[in-house]
Amino acid sequence: MDLEEKILEALKSVYDPELNINVVDLGLIYGLGISDDGDVQITMTLTTPGCPLHDSISNGVRQCLEGLEEVKSVDVNVVWQPAWSPDKMTEDGKRALGIW
Amino acid sequence: MLPQNLGSETNIKLPFSFIIFSLIALVVSQLLLLFNGQMMAGGAFRIPAIWSAAHLMVLGWALLAAMGSMYQLVPVAFLTKIWNEKFGFLQFFVTAIGISSFAATLYLSPKNALIPGILTLLGILMFLFQMMMTLKTQAKPNILTAFVGTALVCLFLTITLGITLICSLKTGAGAGHYQAIFQSHLLLGLTGWFTLLIFGFSYKMVPMFSLSHGFPMIQAKFVYGFYVSGLILTLISFLTGQNILLKLGFFLLLAGFSIFSWHISIIIRKRLKKKLDKPFTFAISAIGFGNLIHLAAFILLWTPSFKDLVGPLVYAYILLWIILSITGYLYKIVPFLWWTYKYSKEIGKTKVPSLKDMMNDKLIVPVLSSFIAAVLIIFCSMAIKSLILFNIGQIVVSITFLIIALSIISVLKK
Repeated sequence: MDLEEKILEALKSVYDPELNINVVDLGLIYGLGISDDGDVQITMTLTTPGCPLHDSISNGVRQCLEGLEEVKSVDVNVVWQPAWSPDKMTEDGKRALGIW
Repeated sequence: MLPQNLGSETNIKLPFSFIIFSLIALVVSQLLLLFNGQMMAGGAFRIPAIWSAAHLMVLGWALLAAMGSMYQLVPVAFLTKIWNEKFGFLQFFVTAIGISSFAATLYLSPKNALIPGILTLLGILMFLFQMMMTLKTQAKPNILTAFVGTALVCLFLTITLGITLICSLKTGAGAGHYQAIFQSHLLLGLTGWFTLLIFGFSYKMVPMFSLSHGFPMIQAKFVYGFYVSGLILTLISFLTGQNILLKLGFFLLLAGFSIFSWHISIIIRKRLKKKLDKPFTFAISAIGFGNLIHLAAFILLWTPSFKDLVGPLVYAYILLWIILSITGYLYKIVPFLWWTYKYSKEIGKTKVPSLKDMMNDKLIVPVLSSFIAAVLIIFCSMAIKSLILFNIGQIVVSITFLIIALSIISVLKK
């Protein structure tokens, strides 16, 4: 398993506590950058602008990745463009929400 | 363009202080009503014990719960931080002391309620100032700003008219206008402040809790236009005594509320979360009650029964629309606040509970259903002036309020 896959797998342990679906299946992770030195940059969003769980979820993502041995530093950037939409969810996420 | 990387979390001790105080005020107000029910069932609403209970319920419970919720929700809805949190704590102490002493003097010695009333006014003015400074920093005002901004103006007018009523009672000045001022005070407080505030925040909370996407917002402008026009016309009718303006005002209020109900049903139909949380469904059902009460008020206005039924209608409006909405949303807001306090530093490191795990979901349906049934019993008891029926209903309402208060507080053990 390469580091990118390992990071995405780890992020599946970070849940949106309101919807009880992890950030990967919810389609909140927009981008993932890894430098040779192990510096990780995450670009992500939330389901609604001004989500009250903004700081909690973005800190959760940071804390989760800081626990990985291969990761030296983590930078989480929350963006609102493009806005989140349901088509960004994985099939598992849609199933958990009852869309399928 | 929306700001990037905007953190919006408030120090949870601030909204919590307001919400805990509001729950205590709720319990005390219910005990007062329980011990003075015989007078209310007989149609006597303007007596010291009822004034005290009504103000504890409307100011101590509903207003402080609304203030606490606003400290949490304004940053969420308007993407801006609270202007000054330290000032918020100071505002809490002034308002809590003001309302406690105001309710106590209304009960024991209404003529001395002026100074506690002024202290309450000061607390509310501090809140208005805090909100004005916070909303000023909003990058791009929208229709939610119009709802919440107008609600805040109505709150200011309500409390000013309330102080005028106390002055009139103390000095006898303006006694000829007492009725018009009293009616305006009620109208602005209930429909101007609470209803517009709930409308505004519903437009943020309903899509958020149901995960709705791709719904239109154009209807919100009509809701605002009709409802605020209705409010203004009804106020003018109180001042001029023009009955036709009153009917037109009530019609516009009904139209505004009905468009709001229809609009919320559109948003709910566009939801992705198929199974809605129980407290949230009760907050949504409160919209139906509010709409029904507006319809009943408009129809009864054309009949001679209106005079006898206006008291029970106002009571039902406060309990089944305002308080049921606030209670439904509190069941969502309090677990969120406590979760943030306890688990936001743990998320990502260890397994944390979901928000739903923070509350005993099974209690909500029987408790809130009993609450609705009991309020309907009280409404009937007031309409037919039945003391026995009133006492039965009030005992059930008081018990359900106690369970609601305790179950919300029990979240703090999770």
